[in-house]
Formats: sequence, C-alpha cells, structure tokens
Amino acid sequence: MTRLKGYGGRVLRVDLTHRTYRAEELDESLARAFLGGRGLNVYRLYWEVPPGVNPLGPENKLMIATGPMVGFPHGLGSRVNVTARSPLTGLLGDSNAGTHFSEEMKFAGYDQIVVEGRSDRPVYLYVTESGVEFMDAEGLWGLRVSEAHEAIRRELNDHRVQVAVVGPAAENLVKFAGVFFNVYRAAGRTGMGAVLASKGLKAIAVRGDGHVEAAKPDKLLEVMDEMLRRIYENPQYWPRRIMGTSRILMAGNRLGFLPGRHFQDPVVDYAYDVSGERLAREYNVKVRACSAGCALPCARFFVVKKGPLAGLMGEGPEYEPLAGFTVRVGNRDLDRALKIILKVSDYGMDAITTSEVIAWLMELRQRGEVSDEEVGLRLEWGDPEAIEQLVDMIAYRKGIGNVLAEGVKRASEILGKGQDIAFHVKGLEMIQADPRALKGYGLGFAVASRGADHLRSEPFVEVEDDPELGRRMFGEPEAAMRLGVRGKGKLVAFFEDLNAVVDSMEVCKNTAENMLVLDFDTAARAYSAITGLDVTPSEMRLTGERIVNIERAYLVREGVRREHDRLPRRFLEEPLRDGPAKGHVHELETMLDEYYSVRGWSRDGVPTKSKLASLGLHEVVQDLELRGLRLACCPGDL
Amino acid sequence: MDPSKCVGCNICELSCSYEHEGVFSRSLSRITVITYERLGLDYPVVCQQCEPAPCVELCPTGALSKGRMGEVNLDKGKCIGCRVCSEVCPYGAARMDPEGRYPLICDLCGGEPACVMKCPTNALSLSSRVSVRLEANSTTERFAISELKRLAAGWGVKVDEA
Repeated sequence: MTRLKGYGGRVLRVDLTHRTYRAEELDESLARAFLGGRGLNVYRLYWEVPPGVNPLGPENKLMIATGPMVGFPHGLGSRVNVTARSPLTGLLGDSNAGTHFSEEMKFAGYDQIVVEGRSDRPVYLYVTESGVEFMDAEGLWGLRVSEAHEAIRRELNDHRVQVAVVGPAAENLVKFAGVFFNVYRAAGRTGMGAVLASKGLKAIAVRGDGHVEAAKPDKLLEVMDEMLRRIYENPQYWPRRIMGTSRILMAGNRLGFLPGRHFQDPVVDYAYDVSGERLAREYNVKVRACSAGCALPCARFFVVKKGPLAGLMGEGPEYEPLAGFTVRVGNRDLDRALKIILKVSDYGMDAITTSEVIAWLMELRQRGEVSDEEVGLRLEWGDPEAIEQLVDMIAYRKGIGNVLAEGVKRASEILGKGQDIAFHVKGLEMIQADPRALKGYGLGFAVASRGADHLRSEPFVEVEDDPELGRRMFGEPEAAMRLGVRGKGKLVAFFEDLNAVVDSMEVCKNTAENMLVLDFDTAARAYSAITGLDVTPSEMRLTGERIVNIERAYLVREGVRREHDRLPRRFLEEPLRDGPAKGHVHELETMLDEYYSVRGWSRDGVPTKSKLASLGLHEVVQDLELRGLRLACCPGDL
Repeated sequence: MDPSKCVGCNICELSCSYEHEGVFSRSLSRITVITYERLGLDYPVVCQQCEPAPCVELCPTGALSKGRMGEVNLDKGKCIGCRVCSEVCPYGAARMDPEGRYPLICDLCGGEPACVMKCPTNALSLSSRVSVRLEANSTTERFAISELKRLAAGWGVKVDEA
C-alpha cells in the first residue's frame, strides 16, 4: 500500500445519522489533480452534493480539509477549508481559516473529514488516529464559541486538542454563522457553521500523535529556506507583523476604497481613530501566530487599557471586522467596535455579512424606508448601542434580527425593500472594499465562485499602480493600475489560479500570495520535494485552473450564467463621491468579456468543452451534458 | 526563553522533531508550546538544564547523563522507558515519545539548537551559564547579587547560586 508522502493519507467519513465512521485511503491521482484542501473539497462537493439538495438537510455534506504543505515549518502558516452547499447562497459554500486544527488533523492521519447525515441529539466528534468518538454535547448546546472551546478542551483534558466549534448563531440557523477555531479564528463565510449545527454537531475536536515527512527532505529544506528568506526580506515584513491586516484601513482611506456608511463615503475623516496604527500604539500587547509554521505572525492580542471597557481583551481584529463595525456602519468609537467584534465572533457569525445587513438597514432608515418602530430601536449611523443590540437580535433571531439573519439578499426580498442597495453577489455579501476604486477587485467579486469575495482572486498588484509591473506580468500596463480597465481579465484569472493552489496547499495568502512567496514555480518545487512526484510549474498552474473550472462547473450546473456575475447597481452607475477615485464607476461588462475569453469560457460564462477537457475534467463534461446543458466546443463558438 | 515574544507558531517543535527524528511532528519534539488563546498566551516548555538534574540523578539505568554544556544526553540503548525522568522533571519538559519508549529531553543539538535557529521572533535563545558561590549576608549584598545576575542575563550568561 503506497502512501503519498506529505499527506495524512486517509479521508475520514462520519455518518451522524447512524453514528458510524470509516477511514478511506486517499486516492493518489485525486491528490495530484486537486492537491488537497479547497481543491479536494470542491471536487467532492461537485460529485457528492448534486443540485436540489437542501443545504440544511441531512443530505448536505460538510467537508474539512487540510493540505499537503501543512505540518512543515515552511514559514507560510497553515489553514483549513470548510466546504458544503451554502445555506446563505444556495450555491457553493466554502470558507478558509488559519488554525492549528489543520496540522493536528494531519498528524491524526486525515487529509479530509466528510460529515454526513444528521444526529438527533447534540454531539461533538473526538477524532484521533484510532477513530472517532461520538461525544455528548447536550450540555454544550447554547454555549458561545469561547465557552464551548474551553469546555471541550477541559473535558478532553489535553492542551493540544484542536477544536472546530459553532456558536449560538449557528444553532439558531443564522444563515451566515461560521465555524470557529482556536477561539478567534473563523471560517466565517457562506454559513458553514449553520450547516454543522443543522447536523446536530456542536464541534469537531481532533488530536494526533503522528508525523509527516518529505520524500526528498534535502530538497524541501532548500525550498523552505528560500521561502523563509523571501518572507524575512520582504519590505512589508514589519508592518504586516505589527499590524496584520488591520493596516489596510489607513491604506483604504488613502486610496479611497473604504465602505463608509454602506459605500457612500470612500474616505472618512476619522480613519486614524479606528485604524490598525492606533491599535498597535495603544491596544496591542503581543503578536500571535494563528497557525503552525508561520514566520510572519500577524494576529495581534489586544487589551483595552482605559475607559469604561478597560480590561476587554481578545485576538485581532482583522481588517474586515474592523472596517465593518467602524466605517461601514459609521461608528467612530474603537472601544465599542472591539466589543461588538468580539461579540459577533463569540456568537459565531460572519463579521462581513453581519456588518452588511446592519449597514443596509441603516441606509434604509436614512432613506426613510423603514421606521424606528419597525426596527424596534432607534437607528442612527454609528450608534454603537444600536449596532450591539442588532447583533444580539440577529444571533438569537429576535424581532427584525430574524429577517436580517437570512442574509441581505433574502432580507431585502422579505421586506420588499432596498434590493438596489443589498450589496451582495450571488447571495454573498460584499467585503469592505469599494470596487469603483479597485477595479480588478471588483471583477474578482463578480466572478468569484462563492460570491462577492476578494480571497478567490486577491489581485493585490493593482494597488501598486505600477504600469511597468503590469506590462511585465500581463503585457498590459493597466493591469497593475487600480483604476485601469484593460488587462484585468488576465490579472484576475492569474491570481484566481494561484490562490486555488495556495488554498489547496492550505497555506496563508498573506505570505504565499501577497508576498508572492509561493509562485507556481516554488509551489511546484515544494510539492515535488514533499511528495516525490515530478510536478512542473505549468502543471501547477493547470491544477489551479482545474480547481477554478470545477467550481465554475458546479455553479453552471446550478444555473449560474453571465447575468449572475454582476455587481450591485450602485457600483456600476453611481460615480464615487469623494477621494482619489472620485467620479469613477466600475466598467464591469468590458472586463467580463476579457475575463471569459482569457478563461476559455463562452460569452455567457460557461466553460467550453475543450477547456474542461484540456484540464482532464472529461467526467464533468459528461455530467453537464447528461443534465441537458449544451456546452460550446471551443472558445469563439456559440 | 521569552514567552512574551513567543507567538505559538510551533516552528520550534517541528524543527526539533526533524532534527532528532527526521520527520515533522509535534509529538516527537523536545520542546512543547502551551497555548491559551483567551489570554493570548504561548509558553515554550523545554529542559532547563537543572544542576543537579533530578532526571539524571534518578535514572535507574544510567541512560541519562550530563554533558559538557549542562545538557542532558540520552543513551537510547540503556533506556527502559520507565518514565521516572518524565515524572520527576520539575518543568514537565521530559515528555515520553508517543509510544512510551523513551523520554524526549532537549540535548541542545550539540550547541546549535534547531529551535533557536528557526524561531521567527527570537523568543528562544541559548545562554551560557556560570556557577558561582554567592553568599548574601546583608541587604546590600543581596541587592548586589541580584544586580549582577541581571547584568549577566543581559550578556546572555545565566548565574547559578551554589
């Protein structure tokens, strides 16, 4: 029995309905074609969760996967992907978190955990090398993330046990409840927590005494040293280590892409008061690494030192929740924002979506379309009291919270109001960046396989505003200019492919992608050294493309076409009011044409037969055709 | 060891395991990082080279011995896996390997510890140590001795009182 080096080697299937489990051997050709992590998860989602499955029903499957680079001290950090059909969007649900869970799972000998069925009583799983124990979670039901995490660690009496846990929001089936790791680290997007809770599962605890090894250790050490050097020598090393992602807030104000008052103000006059810079000076007490093997620890532990909230402490915040509960909702009070952020995370909700539904309601109130009586409280931009109350109401589905808990798309349909300002793509709420000032990011939101999200593409080079770089990388100066239009298709496609590899290797984008430490060449060399397979850089790029295409095929099978790859109207029609990008709108259609043609997809956004075939996805072609889809043969057809 | 600088990245553990066992594992490491997320604490636990060392003193087969740098060396051939060292270690830094065959005690990697070399935040460092006979009979002398230790620590030298 051969086992590919660097992998745990097994896939764990847990059937909650019958309380059984079995460990299957990981198929070697599958590992090579999809690497692990996100790639492995979407492959299984495509084949095992067909259209029509109720996301919160027992037939949905939830997958947690780690990747081939996890467990090695390469300096990039390690992550997990959580994937299932999403209750928020009804489409592909997938979220990624940095956590020690990933290595512990690997050391227990598993690359992927597949959770199926539904338990009639609350349980949690205790996963070790020898198998799975179904533990009673009756007493844990209702506990918040931090409480449940601590209770499980105490019950299992082992400091190394790593726990994936859901909070009360997930139990109440808030559609954007996430899965939380190491108390503060979230796989927050697309409602994976709600799926877990719908299965009667409060948590998955994992512990492993095993090890990983490389097929060619000397080669791997060489590549690892090179990657570490590139991290340490990067000019962004110190700012990133001191402020992490929170430094983006000031940068966003400089470049004018902040989501101030629900994307009305791209710049604000109080940016420093709620910035990562201020957190670093006045709040942060130490840096932490969210996961194993990280040489660029950017998670900060903060303590509020004075004022009425003195003593409040926790990890973070990252840019998304920080901007979400300050500028997006117009809140200038950093202390109160920190309290709200910790609360959102302790309830187990996605901070991005939570900030969108609240900001959306506030803009409705501003336009006079809802009254304070309808909402049940006095609603005014930036009132921390109201924001906190809304957070409570959403988590426990009280009053208007019961509507907001459905996500902004459904909420706007239920109320029959504000559909034009419900900022989502394919049902997933937009992150804290205005596409009118970041055009490549905007294209990324429109085409991302899970909805409006930057982490599928993260085309950060456009922020450099360096025409020479654009010419060198993509043959188009505008590709590396954030307000440019031409070349964005190439830019987004390139980084989508790279990020698919990064997510499937399960390393961190802050190092691997944003510092370009793990380019296709390095990834190929690292993967070859670990597994002993001989993989070339161009094969690595194809792997990334394969993952992007199977995700697209999943969406196409659900009926997604060009008309769904769109941005909310404000970004296409209303010029930005202020800041360096004043007067700009987003020129989506032009960029979409270029993107589809770079991808080898039809003008309607459907992958062509020849494209899928060239990626080895013949069975996907068959599946789509059996379902009556007419695929164009080649690019240019149709 | 400076816990305030430790970020809990486990790079020391994985490097230690590779140095000694040729594979990457947390369970085969001589150094262990204890993490408590809610207080943001990360604390590396590793052999402190006690003088005298209870593990060496109490080892029934003489498998453990003290080396030139004060490190504890293990002769695997003599070890019977009795766990006495693991139980008497005042720091809990002598864990048994997962199969209980022998203890995982830091041997300083011959003077260039892998954990120290790879630590991304310099939370770990190797300091030399001197043993001096110090007797404090008055407040002034006690103060002088504590100052001496503080200064020595600044130079990377640890002073033991005999």
